[in-house]
Amino acid sequence: MKKVLCLAAALCFMAAPAFAETIRIGLMAPMTGSWASEGQDMRDIVTLMAEELNAKGGVLDKKVEIVVEDDAGDPRAAALAAQRLSTRKVAAVIGTYGSSVAEAAQNIYDDYDIIQVANGATSNRLTEKGLNFFFRTCPRNDEQAMVAAKALQSMGFSKIAILHDNTSYARGLADDARKFIGEVSDAKVVFFNALTPGERDFNTVLTRMRASDPDVILFTGYYPEAGLLLRQKMEMGWDVPMMGGDATNNPDLVEIAGTQAASGFYFLSPPVPQDLPTDEARAFLAAFEKKYSKLPGSIWAVLAGDAFTAIVTAIEGAGSTDSKKVAEYMRTRLKDMPALTGTISFNSVGDRIGDVYRVYQVNAEGAFVLMNP
Amino acid sequence: MEFFLQQLFNGLAVGGIYALVALGYTMVYGVMKLMNFAHGELFTMGAFLGLTLLGTFAFTEVLGPFGGVFVLILMVMGMVAIMGVLLERVAYRPLRNSPRLSAIVSALGASIFLQNAIMLMYGARFQVYPHGILPNTPISVFGVDIPLLRILLFVVSILMMAALYFFVQRTRIGTAIRAAAIDQDAARLMGINVDRVIQIVFIIGPALGAAAGVMVGIYYGQINFTMGWIFGLKAFTAAIIGGIGNIPGAMLGGLLLGVLEAMGAAYISTAWKDAIAFAVLILILLVRPRGILGERVADKL
Repeated sequence: MKKVLCLAAALCFMAAPAFAETIRIGLMAPMTGSWASEGQDMRDIVTLMAEELNAKGGVLDKKVEIVVEDDAGDPRAAALAAQRLSTRKVAAVIGTYGSSVAEAAQNIYDDYDIIQVANGATSNRLTEKGLNFFFRTCPRNDEQAMVAAKALQSMGFSKIAILHDNTSYARGLADDARKFIGEVSDAKVVFFNALTPGERDFNTVLTRMRASDPDVILFTGYYPEAGLLLRQKMEMGWDVPMMGGDATNNPDLVEIAGTQAASGFYFLSPPVPQDLPTDEARAFLAAFEKKYSKLPGSIWAVLAGDAFTAIVTAIEGAGSTDSKKVAEYMRTRLKDMPALTGTISFNSVGDRIGDVYRVYQVNAEGAFVLMNP
Repeated sequence: MEFFLQQLFNGLAVGGIYALVALGYTMVYGVMKLMNFAHGELFTMGAFLGLTLLGTFAFTEVLGPFGGVFVLILMVMGMVAIMGVLLERVAYRPLRNSPRLSAIVSALGASIFLQNAIMLMYGARFQVYPHGILPNTPISVFGVDIPLLRILLFVVSILMMAALYFFVQRTRIGTAIRAAAIDQDAARLMGINVDRVIQIVFIIGPALGAAAGVMVGIYYGQINFTMGWIFGLKAFTAAIIGGIGNIPGAMLGGLLLGVLEAMGAAYISTAWKDAIAFAVLILILLVRPRGILGERVADKL
């Protein structure tokens, strides 16, 4: 027994210096569950960026190590994942996709003084709580809702049906959109209700929506349900146009709906990966494609890469991994940092400043086409 | 009126699927007094195997759309039935004389194991059935246009349930199943091979679940490894509404749950659809704790 203990102690001592030379960055992502394809892209991107960084010598002369925890796209799993990451000495955490999931983890990270940089959690109230260590590289819902209201108005729709799925993201976006539609135009919201995510059959919702006779449907939920809605809408012979929020920006949408049903679908989003503006972004996407022989599915995974860049830049700039110093640096001194999706600055509550939503449309071949940028 | 009929048909189509899945729960419960929580995963497995086979063999090109789908469903039913028998052998038979809690924990474990196995084999992304396997032109029924596929789905579910009902009521094996459901020991004394009866139950239940899985895949297009959970939950509820252990009860419960959901969504709120359906479940259990048709649970099976 003693021998075992001695051996264990020796191993610990041997391991200890190795630990001191790495900086651990957590990644909380939906590796399983409905949004697993988002989470797996997030992991691939962040892993590749860490490898590239380590090849260049790391940060503060230390290597970066990525610690992945699965939140399954589920608030309960996220709280557990956050607790596990908090005990694993991570300097900061990237993630996650989904506002209700990020919300469940927020306070836990804040209690442990760990910086969280979310990449796909766009609900307004996430940053309205005034947490010290919460940031996000994605834009906010109210910005998106305003773009939606203006786009619907300029397209000349006057009777609008709004459908959400009761997640904090979708509900928030739907509420904001309803508010802004009244402000920017005299269009009427003729239907406002929710569906149950995870189900397959939305004919009851569609039938009821059809009875309210809208000119357009604004669906603020996620791509799996949006794909099914499009498909079932076509099958019931109803050809009303439909617009989705940024969570419908995923190529799987076209897979699920089928090209014919998806064609003509509008959605709001920051630029999709193929439309990224900078040479660095194009070079990174090429490296990504070389390593994984696919392109990232959506912008949300790319924003996890930007969260990684922001964290590493702030650690370098602050010259420390102390989360108070790093957070302070991110909030006040990190300005116009070049990143994959453009330049990044954070305001005092941790929101990204100045990104613009665009309107995309799915064309007859199922590709995402930018509309009048 | 048209709106009401449309919603009624919507509810019946979904209810048919719930009923088909619910039969698997109710048969196993009837004979073994065990909730087979892995049933939802067998349903998922059916959906995935169907997609794999569809990609491997060009059924519909050789046999025409209907013949092809028929053979496809039969093959998947057979494969999942084998998995059902294996599941019973590995996860349930060793625990048959243990306290009931052990079997329930084993069922939950099997469910999680199967779900993860499906994810590791097929990946976590959505998989999509090819579009247009079967013709899907809308047909007018009482002035309401219904896609042909929805009608087919419903008719096939009803036919399968009817076939099962006659099998259990009119055949020797069916009689043995009913006898084992009443009292396993007494059935054994009468010369019934109870192990074989349980095996047959674990062939029929999973096979019906698998057929439902393939039909869901063909009709809705989108399948993923977590789909068994939500259908399993609904089917479980349907089995309880109808009276668990009771085959006509599972059918009635499934159709009723589907229609309740549709009517709740139609006239109250689409967001509260599930809450309304479950409120009715609680109400039914308060008034008739054994479910609608669950008078004498075991005898009726």
